[in-house]
Amino acid sequence: MASLTNTITQSRVWRSFFRHGMPNNPLDRSLVMTTNIFFHLHPVKVNLKSLKATYSLGLGIITTFLFVSLSVSGILLMFYYVPTVERAYPNIVALQTQVPFGQLLRNLHRWGAHLMVLAAVLHMARVFYTGAYKPPREFNWIVGVLLLILTLGASFTGYLLPWDQLSFWAITVGTSIASYEPVMGSTVKKILLGGPEVGQEALTRFYALHIMVIPAIIFLLISLHIWRVRKDGGLAANEN
Amino acid sequence: MANIQAFEKGGTKTYSIVEIVRGAPTTMADKGPDNTVFAFPIVAILEVLIALGMSVVLMFIALGKNAPLEELANPLVTTDPAKAPWYFMGLQELLEHMHPTIAGVLIPTLAVLFLIAVPYIDNTRAGAGKWFGAPREKRITLLTALYAVIVMVAYVLLDNAFPVRELLRAAVPAIVAQSIIPGLIMTILAALPALIVWRSRASAREILVALFTMLFVSAIVLTVIGFLFRGPGFKLYLPWDMPHGYNPLNNF
Repeated sequence: MASLTNTITQSRVWRSFFRHGMPNNPLDRSLVMTTNIFFHLHPVKVNLKSLKATYSLGLGIITTFLFVSLSVSGILLMFYYVPTVERAYPNIVALQTQVPFGQLLRNLHRWGAHLMVLAAVLHMARVFYTGAYKPPREFNWIVGVLLLILTLGASFTGYLLPWDQLSFWAITVGTSIASYEPVMGSTVKKILLGGPEVGQEALTRFYALHIMVIPAIIFLLISLHIWRVRKDGGLAANEN
Repeated sequence: MANIQAFEKGGTKTYSIVEIVRGAPTTMADKGPDNTVFAFPIVAILEVLIALGMSVVLMFIALGKNAPLEELANPLVTTDPAKAPWYFMGLQELLEHMHPTIAGVLIPTLAVLFLIAVPYIDNTRAGAGKWFGAPREKRITLLTALYAVIVMVAYVLLDNAFPVRELLRAAVPAIVAQSIIPGLIMTILAALPALIVWRSRASAREILVALFTMLFVSAIVLTVIGFLFRGPGFKLYLPWDMPHGYNPLNNF
């Protein structure tokens, strides 16, 4: 068994994939972090204080996980959903009644989205009450505020897609709030909805924002956010 | 001797100052290896555990409760009440009490600007990385939270019983009744804890704690009122006692 493992991990193919040996020694444990695109967002060494569950409550990782989970369930939903006024609602009904695990898929996406908003808000409160925004982490706090706004935007644009009474009137109420801005308000509303009221144009735009624009920006900013944690010296728990 | 000469370019100096770091360094550079462990594999393991735990939680919720789906959207039939998604219900609740430009635009804009300004108002490093790190922070947080709950609930109930906007409609110009008076009331209510803290020779951090707690808890209170306690006609009811069988929980 050991020789088989050796044969595989010593092979040219394996070594072309992974540019480090078994991570059971300091050198390879450093290399595994710096040569892997997912791990390189993390520091090579972490302070034990920053791993304490009662410090961070894991809320940042929970939010990130929910984003990944929503991306997966969202892509699966895209296989069935058609963003037109005629077909969106029947699609959702068919998804729930005819597609295997369709209802479960939609539930996972819906509740995951609400949980992500909640987790992001709690994460912000955690960072505030632990003073983790203090220098040198000011910029990362701003990235976090932007991520919170984008999370709300992602949830809000997704809210319209089922095209039922709940979504239609929620978006009607929500976008009318934007229109109260005296200078740009009606323009913003018009750009969002593509017309005077919620209709096919709004559905098209919300769909594009929901599945592409906002998730792409969130993906970039989450990467920046986590990478910046490392660059700013790890979690603020290290400061003490 | 031969070795040293290999590095020399005229002179005996074998070292140089590369950079002087002013203030506290921003990285782990000065901290040494104390109390640190390799991130691999412990961080990876913790992340996988959190992901698995959240998957289980999410799966249980998704198996237990179905996502709501009402009838096909109909622009001609308004739902009663017509509510925004739950996280905007705090704003929609505010809309009931003041001019929409104040409630829907000015207050959220100020809230976001305040959040962005937080690390620039409090730019000390003391107390970073500790829960409630400033001396009186826990007390300020608790008292402000308590104050916010009482004051916001009282404001909603009072303004619901004696709506300033309506009572003053005939007496004063619209801008005074709709914007200036409710705006002033809100400003005073929100600023009061911070002012009290400020009077007691507080640090920037302590004033921020009062302001942030006020914003955070008020947002929660208004969201809960708007989401759970507003029924048909956007009137106040007890969540379990809504007319026409309306259940606010179906709005998630």
